[in-house]
Amino acid sequence: MTGLINAIPATNKDEYKNVGVYIEHRGDELKRPSIEMIGIGKQLARKVNEKLICVVIGDKVDGIAKEVGEYGCDIVLAAESPELAEYRTMPYAEIIGGYIQEYKPNIFLLAATRNGRDLASRIAVKSRTGITADCTVLDIDENRTLLANRPTYGESTLAEILCRNHRPQMATARPGIFPPAEKEKDHKYEVIKKKVDVDKKLLGKQILKFIPRKSTDLTSAKIVVAGGLGLGGPDGFKMLEELANLIGGAVGSSRPPVDLGWITRDHQVGQTGQSVRPDLYIAVGISGKPQHIAGMKFSKVIVSINKDPNAEITKYSDYIITEDYRKVIPALIDAIKNSKKAQAPVQKA
Amino acid sequence: MLNIVVMIKQVPDSSEVEIDPVKMTLNRTKARNVVNASDLNALEYALQIKDKVGATITVISMGPPMADSAIIECMARGADRGILITDRAFAGADTYPTGLTLAATISKIGNVDIIFGGDETTDSSTGHVGPGVAEFLGIDQITYAKTVDYEDGYVVATRELEDGDEIVKVKPPVLVTVLLNSNLPRHQSLRKKIDALRKGVESWGVNELGLKPEWVGLRGSPTIVRSMKTIKEIEHMKKKIDIDHLGDMVKELVDKGLIKAGGSQ
Ligand SMILES: Cc1cc2nc3c(=O)[nH]c(=O)nc-3n(C[C@H](O)[C@H](O)[C@H](O)COP(=O)(O)OP(=O)(O)OC[C@H]3O[C@@H](n4cnc5c(N)ncnc54)[C@H](O)[C@@H]3O)c2cc1C
Ligand SMILES: Cc1cc2nc3c(=O)[nH]c(=O)nc-3n(C[C@H](O)[C@H](O)[C@H](O)COP(=O)(O)OP(=O)(O)OC[C@H]3O[C@@H](n4cnc5c(N)ncnc54)[C@H](O)[C@@H]3O)c2cc1C
Repeated sequence: MTGLINAIPATNKDEYKNVGVYIEHRGDELKRPSIEMIGIGKQLARKVNEKLICVVIGDKVDGIAKEVGEYGCDIVLAAESPELAEYRTMPYAEIIGGYIQEYKPNIFLLAATRNGRDLASRIAVKSRTGITADCTVLDIDENRTLLANRPTYGESTLAEILCRNHRPQMATARPGIFPPAEKEKDHKYEVIKKKVDVDKKLLGKQILKFIPRKSTDLTSAKIVVAGGLGLGGPDGFKMLEELANLIGGAVGSSRPPVDLGWITRDHQVGQTGQSVRPDLYIAVGISGKPQHIAGMKFSKVIVSINKDPNAEITKYSDYIITEDYRKVIPALIDAIKNSKKAQAPVQKA
Repeated sequence: MLNIVVMIKQVPDSSEVEIDPVKMTLNRTKARNVVNASDLNALEYALQIKDKVGATITVISMGPPMADSAIIECMARGADRGILITDRAFAGADTYPTGLTLAATISKIGNVDIIFGGDETTDSSTGHVGPGVAEFLGIDQITYAKTVDYEDGYVVATRELEDGDEIVKVKPPVLVTVLLNSNLPRHQSLRKKIDALRKGVESWGVNELGLKPEWVGLRGSPTIVRSMKTIKEIEHMKKKIDIDHLGDMVKELVDKGLIKAGGSQ
């Protein structure tokens, strides 16, 4: 074990400029949470007329670097080596730490994915600075101070956390909250590529196997039909699936059905699941506990179907249907199917 | 024999924390203090390794004096030694000095092979302490592990990621953070509890760790909480729809362009 880093000297803030973002990808696939980070990073940088700098690490990263540039990044720092093909904490942290020393960004952001969180606080400690975790609101003031806001206390309060005397100001941001960046036609960007020789000492972790899991990406769904404990069993989800298929939605869940094995974890919405913001969220047999609300309250329109007229979910609902879901869902399916007949020209049999 | 450290934090029992319906804040006063849930999963993996190959398990926690009960609980489950890192100077720490303090403790224990922690706490849930400790110590880490084993001198673990499971192998020293509910923690044993109470919990402060008060706690924290705001809720229509009038709602949803008439097929 090496020596400890003790006191942290305050940094000279004037030396630090621009917004940095770490980009996650698996092979040629740019991860959606990183596209969201580009979006918010760009917004912060442009507000104070600074540049957005993105860090891409991997084996062959030209494709990803180009994509990141098209999304509106100004400078793409691309580190390449065959040994960097897969994400590994030690070499990745070393490279990012090096970039931070060299480019001195005022702000550095990562998506709060599992690998993002694996890296984030290591980089903060390496760079001798503070970090705010899992932000849902990020802004920058006229002094270029990052206003990092994270929900706390069962998601009822927003804590604003500042990093006063140390740079970069670091934060991770919750996936599914910030709108993803959109590609910008003719955006000019520069790719600074570096071939790295990875220190063998940092390659101790062997990745024996990666078993991909089919995952349901609820964050890009326009409609989510979610079920809770009130469904009473896995069969309830079949009914929801029928409704979801009819209206082109995805199926979500509160946590208890996942814990009970009625549906897989990739469907879970909430504080410890995915954060979604669809145009339409239909909550079926869900009571509306804060940890669930945390993951869906930014939905545009919320419909709740619950036997209990006083369930907390009603406070968040635009449409409240107080009835057993077993009666409501078939009736709703009929009503949707019939809505076509009403608008289509009458046909003779 | 392996030398294992398990880091634990005492937190209010999240299932007992009530939300104040008016202020929408947490009422922690009624909640019991418990060992953070995933820390018990971490301890369980440490105990399984001890059962398999033999190990000394030291449980450490930074917290107020009352946190010694959490350490005793872990000893009653099978840990051999307990150290409470407690000192006024540690109060108000953000994750940076928390990591520093825990790393200093682990360095003082010396020759540690495996350090276990939870994936995140149920109270402030940053998940940043484990990787921070590993960086201070300059050692490798395995986060979000749902299985952990020790084979032929290596820690082998399955990391659960959003898009799949990653099986990794690392030679100690290594820090491992364990996923909540990844195993079933064993119960406390009465005999071990009596032993634990007899043995007691050691208590270390800033001086014992060779740290300066200004490096830790609030003074050593680069971040500050500037404000706490109740989250403004979006206004919802709260329109009650009778089951016989679902068609009206559907029409509104269609008019707003949220669903297609007749469905998407
Ligand atoms: C650290 C932590 C993290 C958590 N993370 C999450 C998370 O990410 N996501 C999450 O969802 N939860 C999470 N939870 C759990 C959360 O606290 C609640 O327990 C959970 O959201 C409740 O799920 P539910 O609404 O499905 O069940 P319940 O609260 O039991 O509600 C069931 C509802 O169904 C209604 N109902 C029953 N029968 C019918 C019927 N036939 N027709 C219509 N309605 C019916 C009932 O009136 C009731 O309102 C977390 C908890 C903790 C402590
Ligand atoms: C509302 C709120 C928001 C906060 N936000 C931030 C923030 O954004 N950034 C920041 O730097 N700090 C933040 N803090 C401070 C942070 O809670 C403390 O630094 C705390 O000591 C550790 O953080 P955690 O509970 O998030 O630990 P986590 O990183 O979630 O804990 C992971 C694991 O580390 C181990 N561990 C954690 N704490 C201890 C301990 N005291 N003793 C032994 N083992 C431990 C346990 O194994 C635990 O399971 C916040 C505090 C509050 C109250």
